Amino acid sequence: MEDLVLVITLLLLGYIFGRYAEKRHYKSIIQREAELSNIPVVATKLIPPQDKFISIGLVAGNVVISVDYFKRFLAGLRNLVGGRVTAYESLLDRARREAILRMKEEAKAQGANLVFNIKLETSSISKGSQNSIGSVEVLAYGTALKQER
Amino acid sequence: MEYSNPKIPEGINTSIEHPVREFLQLTSGVVGVVVIAVFILGVLADRLAHHIPFSAEQNINIPLDKHEVKGQAINRYLESLTHKIAQAADLPPDMKLKIHYVNSKTVNAFATLGGNLIMYRGLMEKMPSENALVMVLAHEIAHIKHRHPIRSVGRGMVIGLTLGLVSSSLGDSLTGNFVNKTGQVTALKFSRDHENEADATALQVLQKLYGHVQGAEAVFKALEAERKRHGKNEPGFEFLSTHPFTGKRLQRLEQAAQNTQNDAQPLTPLPKQYKYWLKAK
Repeated sequence: MEDLVLVITLLLLGYIFGRYAEKRHYKSIIQREAELSNIPVVATKLIPPQDKFISIGLVAGNVVISVDYFKRFLAGLRNLVGGRVTAYESLLDRARREAILRMKEEAKAQGANLVFNIKLETSSISKGSQNSIGSVEVLAYGTALKQER
Repeated sequence: MEYSNPKIPEGINTSIEHPVREFLQLTSGVVGVVVIAVFILGVLADRLAHHIPFSAEQNINIPLDKHEVKGQAINRYLESLTHKIAQAADLPPDMKLKIHYVNSKTVNAFATLGGNLIMYRGLMEKMPSENALVMVLAHEIAHIKHRHPIRSVGRGMVIGLTLGLVSSSLGDSLTGNFVNKTGQVTALKFSRDHENEADATALQVLQKLYGHVQGAEAVFKALEAERKRHGKNEPGFEFLSTHPFTGKRLQRLEQAAQNTQNDAQPLTPLPKQYKYWLKAK
């Protein structure tokens, strides 16, 4: 009985706080993406030779987001039956976009107006250890450039 | 060259499905599969357990309680009652009962492998009449008659082993625990069924011996009082409990009483020296 109450409490807490945090985070992401849309990010490796840019150098942004109990429970059950792990999809989407935004903020602070050759790396913190609610880390990095006038 | 990042619509990299909906689908699906699997395993293991001869059970050594009393008046009294009940319950002749009296305050009695019955002073001194005491004894003897101990052990082993193997191989402790607990709770149904079956047989014995089933309710009331004294509650739902709820057991008892005799019947008193016999060391 105590176990049941504990699990339901954890699930509820995870759901309520996780959902609230996610909503708030998306709101902030969408708003900041609009604000920083004047600094495009491009995945191309080489700068076309006719373009005149001054290279500012490496800019990076990274973020760590924790999974909540509810999401982890859902993903665990999903692992039994297969299919898309929708609980983690939004988590990774948020982490990726937040990392790019932080990278753009760094580029903006250095006066850049374009980030070239952007790369993303994802890793799981507490990988493989049992009984832990994992976290995901996403690192975005690229070369910040300033257009020659 | 002009560079720009147009605004991309939301919801391409995420799913729109509501998490609660997914949660309900997944939990009900997984719980359903575990419940069905445990039921099938339980029924199959039960079939096998019936093939274990009673003599094999008798060869298992049951550890004795250090407060067990032997060769006293209380033993002789319990043996004579047991003998009467065994006859009334049509116990097969090869099922030899061994009744143990333990002088300790534990409010309990139980039947275990090999026809061993263990009665504790704690419960016995709370019995107001011989009818109540016979209810306890008949309930435990019914467990032996229906071979509940060996069936529980067999089933518990099969279900426990399977759940343990499955849950530990899932690789995720949270999911493993969930599957394990769901299975264990499901298996409690078998335990409650045994209790109900033993209650029903015990009532038949009372009916045969005394012509009515009154006095039996004192057993459940004593157990209920003891539970309350310890400040323990029955779990919120019956499916989490090893025994049926006392309220339900009393209800069934009342039904049985109504089917036989309505008016109050005289209860058979316990022997005068009963309280004194209980103190034997």
